Amino acid sequence: MSKRIDVHYVTRVEGHGNIVVEVADRKVQDCRFEVVEAPRFFEAMLRGRPYTEAAHITSRICGICSTGHAATSLRATEKALGVEPSEQTKLLRKLTFHGEILDSHVLHVYMLVAPDFLGVGSVIPLAASHPEIVKRALRMKKLAGDMCQVVAGRHTHPIAMTVGGFTHFPKREELEGLRRRLVAARADVEATVELFASLKWPQFERETEYVSLTRLDEYAFMDGEIVTSDGVRLPVEDYRQVTNEYLVRHSSAKHTRHARASYMVGALARFNNNYEKLYPRAKEAATALGLKPAVTNPFLNSAAQVVEIVHCVEDSMVVIDRLLAEGITPEEPAPVKLGAAEGVGACEVPRGLLIHHYWIGEDGRLTGADCVIPTNQNIGNLEADMRARVPQMVDRPVEAIQLDLEMLVRAYDPCISCSVHVLKVEGERTKDDGGDYPDSRRWQSITRR
Amino acid sequence: MTVGTTLILGVGNPLQGDDGLGVRAAEMLAERELPPGVRVEEIGAPGLGLANWLEAESRVILVDAIHMGERPGTWRRFGPEEVRLIASGDVLASHEPGIAEGLALAQALNMLPDEIVFYGVEPVRCEMGQELSPAVSGALPGLVEAILAEIWKRRE
Repeated sequence: MSKRIDVHYVTRVEGHGNIVVEVADRKVQDCRFEVVEAPRFFEAMLRGRPYTEAAHITSRICGICSTGHAATSLRATEKALGVEPSEQTKLLRKLTFHGEILDSHVLHVYMLVAPDFLGVGSVIPLAASHPEIVKRALRMKKLAGDMCQVVAGRHTHPIAMTVGGFTHFPKREELEGLRRRLVAARADVEATVELFASLKWPQFERETEYVSLTRLDEYAFMDGEIVTSDGVRLPVEDYRQVTNEYLVRHSSAKHTRHARASYMVGALARFNNNYEKLYPRAKEAATALGLKPAVTNPFLNSAAQVVEIVHCVEDSMVVIDRLLAEGITPEEPAPVKLGAAEGVGACEVPRGLLIHHYWIGEDGRLTGADCVIPTNQNIGNLEADMRARVPQMVDRPVEAIQLDLEMLVRAYDPCISCSVHVLKVEGERTKDDGGDYPDSRRWQSITRR
Repeated sequence: MTVGTTLILGVGNPLQGDDGLGVRAAEMLAERELPPGVRVEEIGAPGLGLANWLEAESRVILVDAIHMGERPGTWRRFGPEEVRLIASGDVLASHEPGIAEGLALAQALNMLPDEIVFYGVEPVRCEMGQELSPAVSGALPGLVEAILAEIWKRRE
């Protein structure tokens, strides 16, 4: 008896990916996650551009993690040009960064993940059957977007963040208003924890290497060092020792691997590596959700996002308190030292570790760029999960296997549009996996964020 | 709902060729004198978050690239009834998950303003690149004048 699953575009993920699984005589014959988006040439687009434009260009890589791309871009430029941002700049960036993490996590857990557990096909029927749940999600998204608006001038695609600082500063009343709303949002946050604690998560354990940034002073979202659960610790400048990008035949997104065949980034990796730095309320939420490091069930990445929602709401209040206590001072951006240089920026964006690596010429124009996106880093690990998961399910109906695998893909919160940015067009064989670029005839013209 | 407010939303990604036309139209409108109570925002690709932009407004005008099977650069005004059809998924909008889903969610939650208008422009190419095609950039001045005429006329 054979079973074939061919999900041509998994729904409720950002971008286009296919699940292909073939089981014959209860044995898995084929199991892969195909990324079929056309490549996007951001790195090429950056070459020749003034350093001042890089953050605005890269913020458009993604309509969800635009602040994450912009912040990582700014850090790469600042490190290249010897810029040391002020404490106020760091706090303001952190606040808008938290806004984006909240926005993205709320979108993912409520609108993309929850429908699977609540027995509906998408968030649209969920709005009819459970309007209070969807309205709560929209309320939280609104607050998150307003945090970005107040600090960075816009809900998405920040305009006020610049190399070395900000071009616009929030008013005291605006920050006080956000703080009041954050306090009030605790009720929605608690209801979120309660909802997701009540879900029956699929039972599946597969330990892997968890990779994230880490910091001594806080739960790392911006800057820090790269740490892996296998005990490796590296400065972000050495990111290539961890990411080792390579190409496979069935994906237009590059894969990555470190010491093992694959590794995982994202909320679950951060939770496992940095649990101790979470706020007490976030740790309580973790307990309510049944999470205790090390968590090895990838489906629980969504639960770890709920923990981070709690953490970011709490930390946002602390950040606002510090800004209010010290007073907002309109200040000029920290100065740059122009000269040929390179720099690496690293942030933990909603989906995991993001790297921007820039080379800047003496005239202040970029001569090269390398961006390593979280979703790329997760695809190999997702496939390894699929290969481990399918044999456990071979006796279940095909529809059940399909739903389970779709839920697994969604748990990773992939942003496929972001992940596809192959640098060169011509096919080029890599030396060790025999892979090449996918057949260009299969690339479709698809508009995306 | 705030009585008498109109929000014009430019939708799209300026790095995706003609997909950025809504953003460009919003920029052009922002440079013009608008009637009291009318605001313009450039919102990128809000997807399911679109509902939050619609909730507090009495009237919303969306501008976006939309595949209609027309000659590139052709634009069309969709009134409230037609926007509800878009929200029901009868027309394929350009973003994924996109404006159609965002409208559908707003409709399911009764958050669609009574007065919602969608100006759709047929794109040539929504692929990597920061330039609008000549057909689309040539169409934008006429589109902007039509939107201005609509919002000023309503004052009379």
